[in-house]
Amino acid sequence: MAEGCSGSILQFAPFQSSVDEGFWHRLSSLKLNQLGIDESPISITGFYAPCTHPQVSNHLTLLSESLPPEEGEQSFVRDRSHSNRNRCAVPGILYNTNTIEGFHALDKQCLLREEAKKIWADIQSGAAEKDSALLSRFLLISFADLKKWSFHYWFAFPALVLDPPATLADLKPASDFLSLEEAESLSVACNEWRKSSATADVPYFLVTLGSNSRATIKHLSDWEACRHDIHKLLFGFYDPCHLPNNPGWPLRNFLGLIYSRWNLKSIRFLCYRENRGFADMGLSLIGEALISAPQEWRYEQHVPSSVGWELNRGKRLPRCITLSKSMDPIRLAVSAA
Amino acid sequence: MVLTQKLHEAFKGTVERITGHRTVSAFKEKGVLSVTEFVDAGDNLVSKCPTWSWESGEPSKRKPYLPPDKQFLITRNVPCLRRAASVEEEYDAAGEEILLENEDNDGWLATHGKPKGTKCDLEDDLPSMESLDVGKSQTIQSISSYFGGGMEEDIPDMAEYEEQDNVIETDPGTLQYTYLVAHEPDEENILRTRTYDVSITYDKYYQTPRVWLTGYDESRMLLEPELVLEDVSQDHARKTVTIEDHPHLPGKHASVHPCRHGAVMKKIIDVLMSRGVEPEVDKYLFLFLKFMASVIPTIEYDYTMDFDLGSSST
Repeated sequence: MAEGCSGSILQFAPFQSSVDEGFWHRLSSLKLNQLGIDESPISITGFYAPCTHPQVSNHLTLLSESLPPEEGEQSFVRDRSHSNRNRCAVPGILYNTNTIEGFHALDKQCLLREEAKKIWADIQSGAAEKDSALLSRFLLISFADLKKWSFHYWFAFPALVLDPPATLADLKPASDFLSLEEAESLSVACNEWRKSSATADVPYFLVTLGSNSRATIKHLSDWEACRHDIHKLLFGFYDPCHLPNNPGWPLRNFLGLIYSRWNLKSIRFLCYRENRGFADMGLSLIGEALISAPQEWRYEQHVPSSVGWELNRGKRLPRCITLSKSMDPIRLAVSAA
Repeated sequence: MVLTQKLHEAFKGTVERITGHRTVSAFKEKGVLSVTEFVDAGDNLVSKCPTWSWESGEPSKRKPYLPPDKQFLITRNVPCLRRAASVEEEYDAAGEEILLENEDNDGWLATHGKPKGTKCDLEDDLPSMESLDVGKSQTIQSISSYFGGGMEEDIPDMAEYEEQDNVIETDPGTLQYTYLVAHEPDEENILRTRTYDVSITYDKYYQTPRVWLTGYDESRMLLEPELVLEDVSQDHARKTVTIEDHPHLPGKHASVHPCRHGAVMKKIIDVLMSRGVEPEVDKYLFLFLKFMASVIPTIEYDYTMDFDLGSSST
């Protein structure tokens, strides 16, 4: 449709990480009591939620519950069902090395590609339509220096790269895009979706706008039923980003899914954002992305290239945090004396 | 930690172990909550302000008198756009009352300003019922995080690896954006947005809720608890706000000490009742969080709800 529109390149605001102190405490105790020198990758869980404030983005957060429980520990529900509306579970993988040299020697491009492959495989197999959190799979590499109680780490949020990149035909606040009735109805539908424990942590969804201005939200697995309503369909996702002119990172792999599985070249998306915990159609954005990637995107064997290593204050560097104050037994003993 | 504080903690811990928890309501009489009232008030907060949720915390720290999935309340990633310390300087400079501008340009009269040299008396613990709307300010402070000072020396280590790292990503679809670059006139003029995780626990000894703060700098790196004190009203920093072990989470966190909470809540309840408003116990946390806002005025957590505080007489 928007053929004459010389759209700009669609740019996505990168995901940002946030690690709770509890994560490092648990990783240390896991390392000391259970893992030993075993360097096998560990499945972990990250949490995120839609942006909920006009001035700050949300983050992919790791908590102590992100790590598997220790052996013999009372096994409280630590699976994905442990998420809630403010922490939607996302699968990730942790490579924790024994030495700083090992940490730097990790082949980062290769690890990122491996995770991107999993995302691609989940898109192709249809698994991502059943469990959409698989689209936001992430990667963490770390070295835990338990002598100094410092932790070196680096996150990657693998994103499949469309080449040539998607262009933007249109992007504006949802309230400008929709009629008053539609915006009202969409807010109600979104709030219900977010309120129900069955859907609150499902970060990708389909929105159909009926001729009576009524918005309905459906799971990605209901695509077949919705595809004929395509002219009034929005592809929605929980957007952690707060910026008024850019969608957040989770849209990238979603566009990949829509393009390669459903063969759409013009995609109308909804960046779902909240204010104080409720749908905000002024902060939420609706945009239209145009994709002109080559045919290979239809072939399962072809894994698109990927990007996603997090920057540390604008630089390509790992992060480091020292927690000796709260973890070093000697320091703790001194402060308790 | 001060010795008296430690002695008191040991005493409090012992009392908590050997005494049962409150079961009889004394909400109106003493401003305190029983365990079940805390859970009810928490449920109400979570349903009205969905940015708050219940969490279970560390399994080893679980309190048997609270439901396992409702050990404490938390709201994460709450913005704090300016330092409380600098807000107060403006108040003090202006004296008794100052007009605050907000984005919509309707002025708010802030009555929290204090005439210089006046000691705050007990009444000051009682917040006024009007909400205090802080507008934008040019006051900027540069803040160091965990990475300031000592940690810097570890970072150059990384630089030598930088070129070896095969992490070279040139991707037109990635927005080149960081908080630092976004509005960077010079290093001193960056408005550094901090974010907070604010949690509410039940303090069995004082039988009131208790607020805990975990601060993060603009790149979401943990702040030293000491730096958190910059975001606490300076009347309270180091006096009512102390740095202690969190009852459900690892590490040291800043906390508003609950020793006066019952008394202040009782006063607030009395004020409401004198205005003919019958306070309901499940709204306790809304009143409580409003009161907390006088201690941490610039941390924008959510406690709004539609409910009548009675005709406010200003």
